[in-house]
Amino acid sequence: MRVAGVLVGCLTALLGLLYFVAAGAALGAFLLWPRTRARAHALLAAGARRLTGLERRRRSLFFHDAFPEHRADDRQILRYLAARTYSGLLCAVVVGLVDFGAVLAGIFAVSLTTRSTMTWVDVLSQVVLGGTLLFLAVQGLRALTEQDARLARECFGPSERELLQRRIDELATSRAAVVHAVDVERRRVERDLHDGVQQRLVALAMLLGRARRGRTPERADALLEQAHKEAREVLTELREVAWRVYPTALDGLGLREALGGVSERCAVPVRMEYDVPDPLPSAVETAAYFVVSEAVNNAAKHAAADEVSVRVEQRGAMLSVLVRDTGVGGADPAGSGLTGLGSRVAALDGTLRVDSPLGGPTTITAELPCA
Amino acid sequence: MRVILAEDSTLLREGLVRLLAEEGHEVLAAVGDADALLREVEAHTPDVVVTDIRMPPDHTDEGLRAAVRIRELRPEIGVVVLSQYVERNYAAQLLTSSAERVGYLLKDRVAQVEEFLDALERVHAGGAAIDPEVVRQLLIRTTHVDPLTRLTPRERTVLEALAEGHTNAAIGEKLHISLSAVEKNLNAIFDKLGLHRTTGYSRRVLAVLRYLES
Repeated sequence: MRVAGVLVGCLTALLGLLYFVAAGAALGAFLLWPRTRARAHALLAAGARRLTGLERRRRSLFFHDAFPEHRADDRQILRYLAARTYSGLLCAVVVGLVDFGAVLAGIFAVSLTTRSTMTWVDVLSQVVLGGTLLFLAVQGLRALTEQDARLARECFGPSERELLQRRIDELATSRAAVVHAVDVERRRVERDLHDGVQQRLVALAMLLGRARRGRTPERADALLEQAHKEAREVLTELREVAWRVYPTALDGLGLREALGGVSERCAVPVRMEYDVPDPLPSAVETAAYFVVSEAVNNAAKHAAADEVSVRVEQRGAMLSVLVRDTGVGGADPAGSGLTGLGSRVAALDGTLRVDSPLGGPTTITAELPCA
Repeated sequence: MRVILAEDSTLLREGLVRLLAEEGHEVLAAVGDADALLREVEAHTPDVVVTDIRMPPDHTDEGLRAAVRIRELRPEIGVVVLSQYVERNYAAQLLTSSAERVGYLLKDRVAQVEEFLDALERVHAGGAAIDPEVVRQLLIRTTHVDPLTRLTPRERTVLEALAEGHTNAAIGEKLHISLSAVEKNLNAIFDKLGLHRTTGYSRRVLAVLRYLES
């Protein structure tokens, strides 16, 4: 197939050459004259576009290239066709040389078997020379076919530069998203501290203040009792907040233990399947932890689920995290929590999918590369 | 006195209701957001409104906006706002029109029951109650700004007490100086701040505002 592709490529290059010669002859004058230049150029490019389409079909037919939808502009098309024509013709010359060499080698072989007037020095020199030329020709062919493929990629598909550009855009976006996610989390921590812990502490101090002003010892005692209970609750709350900020169990005991903590603190039953044989990079562990923790909390808080199942497994170089609940669905992927998770996962080149039809169930899947 | 409370933390709201009830005040209503507060103020006639600044839905300055509004519509009602942080901008917004029947306290002040109740009484009596911590921070900020820099340390403490909203007698008691010494200090302060020929209370208010705006 590839050989056929190369040979067809030689023919299409010939077509290209004929086109340039014919179009050049027909349009040359108009191309030079400023007032008609634009029209002539457009005509030239339109023809070139047809031929380029032919090249594109050749590439996909013989070489199974899959090109994305990609619209090249006129200049790119013309540049491609010129370069392609040139390299195709060169390829034709090399193929011709190889054929010629094959014929010569045949004659040489026949003459060896019929009458050998040649000395062995002659034979050796012929073989060395032929072999060298053959090697050069093959090298040339390889380079030309590679160039053909590269030219096609540059014109029809995303070029190396575009791929790099895309990657850079992707990274810039994910970096901005990560910064945003960090800010959102900080805001949440601030609110946790203020609307939770601080209010409780103020209430506690107020209880103590009232106890001190207590008109009777019994009254003061009752208030102290309340204050004591409140102080214990503040401690619990503080521990929860700190845990939400960063689960220290991750560092000390690893992902599995930290996830165990999530299911212990969850109001609804959590079924946990954990199958990760190899140690994971800590960034991946943290991301996986937050995916599970956020998803489980959402399920308990918003989805009115009565069960959540979590599966964390390593498949080759990917860690897959799946959280499914039996709740009412309708989770908003654009909500701040899920957006933050998405950013966190994207920063590690992972993907996060949220599937939450109204009426449930909600499934959240994260794929994280752990190389 | 008759009080309306707005505070979104249930725990704290309940605590405040109990505290005020124990002190013999009448709590007309206790609500959890600014809209409900405005409705209740519309329906009742409280002497004093106590409101948290950060409340639902956005947890920004809903309470403060409600407080400013109440001051516009019903200037006879005393308003005390509770703030998480010292926000000079908030304090200034609250005090721009006048510094009568108004209080700006840090939320933590509620924990110091006596001081909180005292501040409420001051506002109810037509005075101002500005949190000592707010005053302290403003002073720190204004030490390098004229004309406050021209005050002696003693005058500075007197101005601080004044900004907190204390009466002359209370200032004297607080600083262990005689009433006439307080008056002398105050006159020196008014002179240095360029507040001549204005009458009693508004002059005090202006001294406080001078502070907040510097």
